[in-house]
Amino acid sequence: MKISLKALKYYVDINVPVEELCNRMVMAGFEVESIENQGDKLVNVVVARIMEITPHENSDHLQICQMDIGAEEFVQIVTGAQNIKVGDLVPAALNDSYLPCGAHIVNGKLRGVASNGMLCSGEELCLTEEDYEGASVNGILILKGEHKPGTDMREVLGLDDYIIDFKITANRPDCNCFLGVAKEISVVLGTKFTAPKPEYKTVGGNINDYISIEVKNPDLCPRYIGRVVKNLRIKQSPLWMQKAITASGMRPINNIVDITNFVMLETGQPMHAFNYNDLSDKKIIVRNARNGESITTLDGKEYKLSEDMLVIADGEKPSCLAGIMGGKESEIENDTEDLFLESAKFRRDNIRHTGRALGIRTEASGRYERGVDIVNVEYAAERALQLIYELDAGDIIDGAIDCSVGLPEDRIIETTTDKIMELIGVKVPDEKIVSILNSLGLKTDADGNKITCRVPSIRSDIEGRADLAEEVMRIYGYDYIVGTPMRGTVVRGKLLPERIKTDKIKKLLTGAGAYEIATYSFIASKAIDTLKLAEDDERRAQIRILNPLGDEYSTMRTQLTTSMLTVLATNINKKIPDSRFFEISKRFIPKSLPLTEQPYELPTMSIGIYGEDEDFFTLKGIVEAVCKLFGAHTEYERSAEPYLHPGRQALIKANNTEIGTFGEVHPDVAAGYGIDRRVYVAEIKLDLLLAIEKRKVTYKPLPKFPAVERDFAMLVDADLPVGAIERAISSGAGRLLEKIELFDVYTGAQIPEGKKSVAYSVLLRSNDNTLSDKEIEDVNNKIIKKLEKIGAELRK
Amino acid sequence: MQEKLKAITAAAKDAVKAFEDETQIENLRVKYLGKKGELTAILKQMGSLSPEERPKMGQLVNEAKQELEELIAAKKQEIAAKAREIKLKAETVDITMPAKEIKQGKLHPLNTVLDNMINIFQSMGFDVVDGPEVETEHYNFECLNVPADHPARDMQDTFYLADNLLLRTQTSAAQIRTMETRKPPIRVICPGRVFRADEVDATHSPVFHQIEGLVVDKGITMCDLKGVLEQFAHEIYGNDTKVKFRPSFFPFTEPSVEVDVTCSECGGKGCRVCKGSGWIEILGAGMVHPNVLRSCGIDPEEYSGFAFGIGLDRLTTTSYRISDIRLLFENDKRFLEQF
Repeated sequence: MKISLKALKYYVDINVPVEELCNRMVMAGFEVESIENQGDKLVNVVVARIMEITPHENSDHLQICQMDIGAEEFVQIVTGAQNIKVGDLVPAALNDSYLPCGAHIVNGKLRGVASNGMLCSGEELCLTEEDYEGASVNGILILKGEHKPGTDMREVLGLDDYIIDFKITANRPDCNCFLGVAKEISVVLGTKFTAPKPEYKTVGGNINDYISIEVKNPDLCPRYIGRVVKNLRIKQSPLWMQKAITASGMRPINNIVDITNFVMLETGQPMHAFNYNDLSDKKIIVRNARNGESITTLDGKEYKLSEDMLVIADGEKPSCLAGIMGGKESEIENDTEDLFLESAKFRRDNIRHTGRALGIRTEASGRYERGVDIVNVEYAAERALQLIYELDAGDIIDGAIDCSVGLPEDRIIETTTDKIMELIGVKVPDEKIVSILNSLGLKTDADGNKITCRVPSIRSDIEGRADLAEEVMRIYGYDYIVGTPMRGTVVRGKLLPERIKTDKIKKLLTGAGAYEIATYSFIASKAIDTLKLAEDDERRAQIRILNPLGDEYSTMRTQLTTSMLTVLATNINKKIPDSRFFEISKRFIPKSLPLTEQPYELPTMSIGIYGEDEDFFTLKGIVEAVCKLFGAHTEYERSAEPYLHPGRQALIKANNTEIGTFGEVHPDVAAGYGIDRRVYVAEIKLDLLLAIEKRKVTYKPLPKFPAVERDFAMLVDADLPVGAIERAISSGAGRLLEKIELFDVYTGAQIPEGKKSVAYSVLLRSNDNTLSDKEIEDVNNKIIKKLEKIGAELRK
Repeated sequence: MQEKLKAITAAAKDAVKAFEDETQIENLRVKYLGKKGELTAILKQMGSLSPEERPKMGQLVNEAKQELEELIAAKKQEIAAKAREIKLKAETVDITMPAKEIKQGKLHPLNTVLDNMINIFQSMGFDVVDGPEVETEHYNFECLNVPADHPARDMQDTFYLADNLLLRTQTSAAQIRTMETRKPPIRVICPGRVFRADEVDATHSPVFHQIEGLVVDKGITMCDLKGVLEQFAHEIYGNDTKVKFRPSFFPFTEPSVEVDVTCSECGGKGCRVCKGSGWIEILGAGMVHPNVLRSCGIDPEEYSGFAFGIGLDRLTTTSYRISDIRLLFENDKRFLEQF
């Protein structure tokens, strides 16, 4: 909340510089967002009286003025303005002065005559007619009233002020006003605080002769006070009030509207002023809107209302959107004669919902949403009447109509000083605790270390000893808290098994040259189409965000490939020649749609690579290494991911579980991301991979007997996968097989059409003996038999 | 004969000295020491000597032979050493030529920082737990002392997925799940992803990360909180770092504080990084609100606790001086390579 320092000084003695005040308020829980020095752009400009005017010899429009600036000698200033006469008080910018427009004024000469400053126009001081009457005159600003020459112009213009923006936390709605902040300042600085005591005279009469008030829904409106003021004398409000309102970011309108706004800023209680004569049947009815009703508010906009919205109606129709904004029809205008004044409490969630539903937020609704004090409703009304009386803005009719559900009792907290301080761990003297609580308006009695604390309704945030502890410490000083090292039983912090496993994967992948990426958990709703997923693909069952930031971020992802392709595209577009990336994050799988319960959040990994040295098999190597980490036996089958190249993709089976797919991205899909080259992605359901229990590692003796190497070269059908050949060799070799290595695949010259030449090197070894020629011969024949079974034609 | 031996030996010695080539030396050896060599020839002539002179002469010849052999061997070694030296010199490489690169990836900077924090808290006995990112209003708000009409719900604009389901706005929700499943003493951190409906700009991201800390035990005080955070700050920012508490408000802690540390750039003197204040705000914390303990079935009269929430993204951007949070999610390789 922005508050003028001058306004605060009206209620509390402030005996420290503004910076110190702010620092101390910060340490008491009131963060300061900004301090704005109103006068910092207007330096060394003073009130000056024109003592003599003489014409300039070398100019027919310049005049030479001798100015009294309150110093011993007059100062000579040359001006081109014609609207001045001897005796006028005007603003004079002296040597080395600064103006709000940024100009720096120094002594100089005008057509040969010394000019030691400049007389200022309203425009040069950035003033409008609203700021100072006569400011828009073409010429020098002639000051009104009497000022001592030499007086700083900041004082004259009310710019000798600071505007402090306090960040009021949500638990302190009582501090969204001058009085609340001033009270806190008085406690922090230990100075005197005075709240205005409302006093005024009425002109008699009886309010009941003027208006009747009925609250139909006291649940939404626990208190409603109405007053009537006759014979309004609408005019401008005084400058001090205008300044205070402007400092807090509101706009002065006229004395009546300004008083309601000022009182809201001063007490935190919103008020509303109705044109009494526009209220039909002279009735105020606080009720829910009826279906089909609408209202045109002060800003000229029309809103359709629904039955859950609270309105202040007259005998016929809604006249005000309760707690949010008044109606256009009953607006206070310059010719308004009589006033109906409202001060009320509305339930905050209702105001919040109505405001949200209609998209309106005002100073008033903001305060109602945070909560206003039911007791304060009356004080604010009284204060407004006092100002109406003091400013002679109208004739106050006797009596108030006060519809209230009743005022709450003070909350009583009984505890001990020890119980309060045991949460903090700092020893604060009992008397200090009691005096701090009392200074904050929490009436506290002590009996030894037992205390009884009476909390007024305005401090409804204080519920128990923890709240009292905070009140004491923020005033006593948090700097008294001294850190103690961890105490208690010594235990070892543990990680979840899933984290331990994914950390291993990350170590492996970074070791393999891949960079970890981080992408948003939500993607565009259309992203799934770009992947060309089939209509019945289960990944299309996506959870939509009800209030997304835009379609781009509207859908919880069921796969990570979309995000990976976006990152690959980003890097390719930036001309980065090659990359390996991976991401481990969650995919969100609904148990049902529309969503009724928390979805599955499943750990998922994606890998994306591209570059001159990358192909299907480099990615296969990475995938295989990850699977090996868990001791999984990996197999591959042809797959049919729509976003992958139909001939260059595979399903990954780890220990017979389908854990994911990988391959080259389909060129059409890549093009959809603006990618014009071969890129490769893998997506693995980590929940399935992590579930594979790694076998316990036990030592196997190193081989004692020599190995035998045999090569097998063969012709096979061109479309026979080499995996089938490997399986044949390994089943033929049985337990003697140590290693099998593909070393040549060839098609072309000398190879018949539809065939390919494949060559394997096979390492055989027994753990029990050196293989005999007979044993070698036997296993060799077995392998050949198996190979022939799959149609291989062995070559010599 | 003795004269002759002397002459041969002297000539051989001179020759050894003069020659610098391995073949020349070998030829020399053959010339003097070979089967038909000059010294061998003298030995052969020994028959013509008297039996008295013979052993004497034999000894002289053998001595000369041995001396020459040693000289030749030494010379050979000298030549070999010289040759090796020349070879090694020729093999000199330009050590400023580029290395044969080992392609090594890296963790995302957020996780590099997170891993460091996990290590710090794990060493202080904190378990690392996890919680769901899609939460119910019950766990994200109600149990955290934020009832339906509470203005604190406005502090965090929430993404809703269904009536009662939302993307968690803070990892504090995991506090509740922890307290429901564990009995005090509790000491956990819960790192995780959180979401708020903030428009994307240089300092705001709708997706970000927090690390929630929670300690519940008998007799836990704010001094314990400060002690743990001091430990943490010393590990992250250095041992001279000071920790300051500033009163603040969170619905789920009471008292609540914002925690500042002395600016690591200027050591607290005030600089551009800390905007002249000497302090940098790093996290929010407080004593677990009695209502929160109660809602988890823990008696606030018997137990107390503290909680803190660290913004991982901000910690990462400040510690690496990253000017724009969007860089964290853009994943430009040239960015990722730097950490």
